[in-house]
Amino acid sequence: MAVTIIIPTALRQFAGGLSEIEVEAQTAGEALERLTTEHAELRRHLYTDENRLRNFVNVYVNDEDIRHSGGAGTPLKDGDSVMIVPSIAGGAATEDEVKAVELPSLSNDEIARYSRHLIMPEVGMEGQRRLKAASVLMIGTGGLGAPAGMYLAAAGVGRLGILDFDVVDESNLQRQIIHGTKDVGRPKIESARDRLHDINPHVQLDTYEERLTSENALRLFKEYDIVVDGTDNFPTRYLVNDACVLTGRPNVYGSIFRFEGQASVFWAERGACYRCLYPEPPPPGLVPSCAEGGVLGVLPGIVGAIQASETIKLILGAEGSLVNRLLLFDAWRMRFRELKLRKDPACPVCGEHATIKELIDYEEFCGLRPPAQGVQSEERKLEEITAARLKERLDRGDDLQVIDVREPNEYEIARLPGTKLIPLGQVTSRMSEIDPARETVVHCKGGVRSARAIAALTEAGFTGKLVNLKGGIAAWSDEVDPSVPKY
Amino acid sequence: MIKAGTMLLEDIKRHAEREYPRECCGLLIGRIEDEGLTRVVFETYPVANSWEEGDTRHRRMLIRPQDYMDAERHFSKRGLGVVGNYHSHPDHPAVPSEFDLKNLAPWATMSYVVVSVMKGRAVELRSWELKADRSRFNEEEISKGS
Repeated sequence: MAVTIIIPTALRQFAGGLSEIEVEAQTAGEALERLTTEHAELRRHLYTDENRLRNFVNVYVNDEDIRHSGGAGTPLKDGDSVMIVPSIAGGAATEDEVKAVELPSLSNDEIARYSRHLIMPEVGMEGQRRLKAASVLMIGTGGLGAPAGMYLAAAGVGRLGILDFDVVDESNLQRQIIHGTKDVGRPKIESARDRLHDINPHVQLDTYEERLTSENALRLFKEYDIVVDGTDNFPTRYLVNDACVLTGRPNVYGSIFRFEGQASVFWAERGACYRCLYPEPPPPGLVPSCAEGGVLGVLPGIVGAIQASETIKLILGAEGSLVNRLLLFDAWRMRFRELKLRKDPACPVCGEHATIKELIDYEEFCGLRPPAQGVQSEERKLEEITAARLKERLDRGDDLQVIDVREPNEYEIARLPGTKLIPLGQVTSRMSEIDPARETVVHCKGGVRSARAIAALTEAGFTGKLVNLKGGIAAWSDEVDPSVPKY
Repeated sequence: MIKAGTMLLEDIKRHAEREYPRECCGLLIGRIEDEGLTRVVFETYPVANSWEEGDTRHRRMLIRPQDYMDAERHFSKRGLGVVGNYHSHPDHPAVPSEFDLKNLAPWATMSYVVVSVMKGRAVELRSWELKADRSRFNEEEISKGS
């Protein structure tokens, strides 16, 4: 019997573009068999691998569903029309199902690039697609951000946000390996972007040349799945923590000082936050920054790589993350230790009766700025002198004694002429070495420690006149004598 | 890729809002071009949601083959046919579900438009295509040109 099979529009490209095809057949099943023999590509669209008609495929003979007229055995007459029609059903999903289908696919280039991931069942195609679907915001592209960003880009995280307001300085290069010598003087986000793009052009890079503030943090964090904290100061660290708690984002934390590092994952939904561990910041000045205390260049490489590893594990849904664990690392003794953390039910930001519902002034919280309506303090005003003015006075032969409160190893790097070294820690016990009858200029590297030395001396009852060298030896190098190296 | 004028997309959204909180459904009528890569939509063809299992039409929809056949027949005179379908997700995102993957999707050559209707307002419309191995949907670009 000669019958006409009507091909649905959606399948015509597999049937030579034809809308109707004539075949000779006795039954409906035979007609389809002929059709799919002639146009083999059609077959997989109509039949399963087990050679059964797909459940959504309906076959009509002259407007009658063959299910009601004998199935594949439905007899055909000359001139019958056989039509292939799908039934279509759909519906909304639960949240979990949505996640499962939204993962992006990988191109062949990407498959080749990530092969060492793909062959591990813990990652596999699914995990790599999760990485591609993920977005991570990195606060800072310094010592910690450099390795963390480079490994996250290399691993194929789909979208990386990088936030930094700083400019690359010579003194960064000892540890911030995302920046190179040619980048000195460039904005860090520009040099970081170039490096990350070079590592993996598949990654979308969003750059923010700004400070993280209480005004922009929530908006930024909401645009990302995970936040990596690569900051070097307490106000920003508390800000990152609180903004992560308020937006429900995991905070992959790392910090470094001299030879020691810490890492953890603060995720209030699953465990402790940074405030559960440290409810209050240390008094200002108690914990020196890396600029003051120094840091082994490779240390942030290790800690930042741990942050990258934890971030990747969060994306893959791996067990054994640093949630509720504080990892302590000592590079000098080469030792890892671990502290158990517990969520504090009384935590002001993630506890049961949280009092912090929005971001606050973190400079003030950390004691770095007096409260807006604070008492006009009676604290003695610090007397200061600029490097240029000090040079003038020394040249003029004024009777000044200059005390250097830095450490001996710093003194070895660079020093001012005719100074006496009394490290900050000894300044009160060696007070008798300073003549109160003469005017005294106190200096350090940048002016912070010397101000503290003056406060300590005054507190201890020193009666002589004390003047702080503004900007320290660094300012001397800039303003007076460039041959004094900056460090 | 799917090409569809703004007016057509608006029609789909209005249909979805009218049917809220039930799911709406319909067919996309047009031509397949660029050797199967582009579906150009000329008309929408709303059909009644024929899902009858209990009262779950707020989260399920069914387009009967009869409707599909009617549409193919009707538009074949103008050289057009069914190139895709659409349905709404009341109070859910415009992303195909696991159920859609198993049931909605006849062929990888069609467009699957999903409209998210939140509290009665059509908030998002996205289009998807089935991967050749039928394992998942990938989002496809909607070109609103002409």
